[in-house]
Amino acid sequence: MKIDYIGKCLLLEENGERTLVIGDLHLGYEGAMRASGVMIPVKLYDKCVSDFDLIISGVGGFVENIIMLGDIKHEFGFILQDEWNLIVKFIEYVRTRCSKLVIIEGNHDVVLFPVLNKLGIVAVDFFIWNSVAFAHGDKKFDELYSDNVNYWVLGHGHPAVTLYEGVKKEKYKCFLVGVYKETGKKKKEVIIVPSFFPLIEGTDAREFDLRFAWEFDLMNFEVKVVSSNLKVLDFGKLRKIKY
Amino acid sequence: MKENKIEFIEARGSAEVKRMLHPIVAEWFFGKFRDFSLTQLYGVAPIHERRNILISAPTGGTKTLTAFLSILNYLVGIALRNELEDKMYAVYVSPLRALSGDIFVNLEKPLAEITELATAKGLKMQTIRVGLRTGDTSVSERAKMTRKVPHIFVTTPESLAIVLTAPKFSENLRALEFVVVDEIHALANKRGVFLSLMLERLQEFSVITPVRIGLSATIAPIEEIAKFLVGTNRDCLIAKVELVKDIDIGLISPGVDLLTMDGAEDQKRLYHILDELIQNHKTTLIFTNTRNATERIIHYLDDHFPGKYSGLIGAHHSSMSKDQRFMIEERLRKGDLKVAVSSTSLELGIDIGSIDLVVLLRSPKSVSRALQRIGRAGHQLHANPKGRFVVMDRDDLMECAILMKNMKEKIIDRVDIPVNALDVLAQHIYGMAISRIWDIDEMLKLIRNSYCYYTLSKEDFMSVISYLCGDYDLEHRNVYAKIWYDTSTKQVGKRGKLARLIYLTNIGTIPEEGFISVVVGSGEAKGSTVGSIDEAFLEKMKKGDVFVLGGAKYQFIHSKGMKAYVIANVSRQPTIPSWFSEQLPLSYDVACAIGKFRGLIAERLSNSLECVKFIKDYVYCSSETAGQIYRYCLEQRDFSDIPTNKKLIVEQFKQEKEYLLFHSLYGRRVNDALSRAYAYVAAQLKHRDIEVGINDNGFFISGENLDVNKILKGVTSLNLRKILDEAIDKTDVLRRRFRHCAARSLMILRNYKGRSKSVGKQQMHSHFLLSAVNELSKDFPILREARREVLNDLMDINHAEEVLKKIEKKEIEISIIKTPLVSPFGLILLTQSHSDFVKVEDRINFLKRMHELHLKVIEGR
Repeated sequence: MKIDYIGKCLLLEENGERTLVIGDLHLGYEGAMRASGVMIPVKLYDKCVSDFDLIISGVGGFVENIIMLGDIKHEFGFILQDEWNLIVKFIEYVRTRCSKLVIIEGNHDVVLFPVLNKLGIVAVDFFIWNSVAFAHGDKKFDELYSDNVNYWVLGHGHPAVTLYEGVKKEKYKCFLVGVYKETGKKKKEVIIVPSFFPLIEGTDAREFDLRFAWEFDLMNFEVKVVSSNLKVLDFGKLRKIKY
Repeated sequence: MKENKIEFIEARGSAEVKRMLHPIVAEWFFGKFRDFSLTQLYGVAPIHERRNILISAPTGGTKTLTAFLSILNYLVGIALRNELEDKMYAVYVSPLRALSGDIFVNLEKPLAEITELATAKGLKMQTIRVGLRTGDTSVSERAKMTRKVPHIFVTTPESLAIVLTAPKFSENLRALEFVVVDEIHALANKRGVFLSLMLERLQEFSVITPVRIGLSATIAPIEEIAKFLVGTNRDCLIAKVELVKDIDIGLISPGVDLLTMDGAEDQKRLYHILDELIQNHKTTLIFTNTRNATERIIHYLDDHFPGKYSGLIGAHHSSMSKDQRFMIEERLRKGDLKVAVSSTSLELGIDIGSIDLVVLLRSPKSVSRALQRIGRAGHQLHANPKGRFVVMDRDDLMECAILMKNMKEKIIDRVDIPVNALDVLAQHIYGMAISRIWDIDEMLKLIRNSYCYYTLSKEDFMSVISYLCGDYDLEHRNVYAKIWYDTSTKQVGKRGKLARLIYLTNIGTIPEEGFISVVVGSGEAKGSTVGSIDEAFLEKMKKGDVFVLGGAKYQFIHSKGMKAYVIANVSRQPTIPSWFSEQLPLSYDVACAIGKFRGLIAERLSNSLECVKFIKDYVYCSSETAGQIYRYCLEQRDFSDIPTNKKLIVEQFKQEKEYLLFHSLYGRRVNDALSRAYAYVAAQLKHRDIEVGINDNGFFISGENLDVNKILKGVTSLNLRKILDEAIDKTDVLRRRFRHCAARSLMILRNYKGRSKSVGKQQMHSHFLLSAVNELSKDFPILREARREVLNDLMDINHAEEVLKKIEKKEIEISIIKTPLVSPFGLILLTQSHSDFVKVEDRINFLKRMHELHLKVIEGR
């Protein structure tokens, strides 16, 4: 199977079939802020669309499968109808670029089903494609441990890495790639996908617990920093990066 | 623009002033006091004559009664004629809530006594009412005031802003005759900016132009402060009341040849000196510079003299509760305490009885602060304030010597008031729009009447209007817009039914600073909170710094929101002194004066007797002290060379890493700007691992293979601003200041729809907000204001540019010297800010070792 990193998305290819993976979206976050009295000037939706456009055109404009790893929305409640509609619009748009769209339910996705109902999509807890299992990352499922599964592709953690150089420091979204082995179970190759959410990079695993359902040895995971022009830069193991 | 006419006045004669008083008032006054104070002889007449006036007098100069005597006189006259109306005649504004309470009491008493006197004479006098409104005033008291309008209204700037938007209650301000602004010297900040706009709104609102009376401690530049008080294009008198007698100040330098007073032996000596001073005086007030030091002094005094001070000593600082502080103030007033120890909290006006001695432990960093503090001694009119500096190291020694000289020669360091602060402007425009509809040019004109905005460009003004109109996010305009602006009618008004409520619940300029929880980030105790530090401390900390909290050591790793994550059980010793956060910056003027002093000493070093005599005369000190200063400079000269105000020495040496140490004696605010700029250039030149350290006397950059010439060439007076704009981008300090500015501009509402946001939440939201705003435009007004605040208020970019210009014009020579190790003058800078550094206890040994090395190098020459 071929594994490619297209900007902040993951592209997997096997037997001519391609699957694009999109990390946590948190659409509606700015609406929540707005409702609590913060005049945030951002069109998250527009940014998501343009980011997505860039990525999908980088892979030929169309893929067979697109998987959204959960936390599509941030929260409902005080969100205006417009916001709700935007989320529907985004999902519909993404759907035009693939044959099959799979939406994984994340911990923020409570009350997502009315939206999906409207679109005729069912959210799942996990999804298995060939030897790859896709899950959000906050919950364990027995099926993920199946011997037929070699790879786990997860979201939830919003991995990012802060790079220091004397007086300067910068934070970047990144993929974390490593292995996970539980006693008595088969070893899994784990790929943690960064959040798709624009403007905020994410969480540095050296500073905070990414709160996965499993105890990953993240310090020994490989760090692939999301760079510009859909590129990704290899930085080696997390523990080797100067902190 | 017509220039302000600012005029210094002289005191009037006692008989002349007495004639101005109504007989009853005169009778009352001379029944209580022997004669008018000097301040009153200056100030009472001009106020009676309805002239704007700034009264500058040292603390304890009876300023308040001076301000009110003419006003009370006038009101008593009307009240006796039964002509007193139901309106506010005078507004008194003070930045301190507690002081307002004090004033209120100080007004009620005289009024009661005068009324009694009038009644005794069978005269009928209407009741003159005084009302107090601050953030602490209860709802019922406020309601009472609406029914019985106070004639004299005592309040804070924020409460005044609230009152001005109250539709009915504000009507009482329509014919205001006097405005008194107290503690003006404490308003050289955004609070002052807020107040200055407030005064303009007040003046515009009232059909009578109120007389403006400003009360200030000794301050400079006094003409500018007068202009600040009255606004542009207006006249003002200045009463500069000098202390009649000289203050009795002296300098005590405990060490024989003091490198530093931090070692155990030196500590003993220090406390014996303190003890002796305390025992020789009735009541002593010791000022330290930090809360920690305050606690430590008390602890050590008790340690060294067990039992001697129990019950007779008290601490006073802002972390203590209001009640605890009040208790200490009471005990001082009664004369119960032998010694009180304070950081900055006892500097300001609250009455604390009579103090015979003020001890300043370590430099207070500015002349005005030193005067304020020593002014707390001898509160009675004719007592000589007595103060002693106790210095703790050689740089402290030089600094205090110059402070003392400037105090004696009455050379006051200048303050800066923030100019064109866009966040305070946004808040005020909103307040104005809530009060009524404005013509936009009318609004701009009013704003430009304020001293703080007279150079405000139309572009900046319109960008703030645009922000308040919600132009930056058209889609959510209906929620974001606070005002509307009709381009055809050119009018501005408020939007939304919640406008007034939002304004009232979010008004103010003092940023809500939370305490940062210190949380263990890894290891056994992971997740546990071990204490808290304040945001100012966090702002100064670098990754890897080790600090002490609650007796244990922690290494700072990073912060997120209102939490600082640390490693516990650290073996390395503290690298950041506990006083780092509260460290007051040395004023630029004093720093330059020290540089000049060094230059004058350098010229005379060849003749030791002549030099020592020169020092003695120049700073009015003892032979012993002069000797210490002489030896310090001699050592530096023999080792390398003396940096002065005309010669900026850049030392190059190697100590594990390569160092460039700039002896830029301009105060830490300027050095903060310069060091960041040079470090940025060095990083751009691909130098690796750049680290920076600063203090008031200079800064250093360390790294690998530093090309000193390229680095120096990289920063000029013309590109400094551009470099710094980039250098501060994405730093924690900009983020925090952005949060403050966003809150002031009401872009982040602390209180909204009945819920209030914790500081932590505000910080989180502001992080996202900053990213979003950055994407929108780097010139978004609130972001620009955050940058301005960091570069102008926190750092001092203007003076930094001035220094660079002087270098370019060759008025200051740059001298690059290679040294085998850091020179004597650079030692304190290196040891105190070097994050790689060893134990604080070992610091003494390190210093002593270095000192020996210095002597060896000198001997070897």
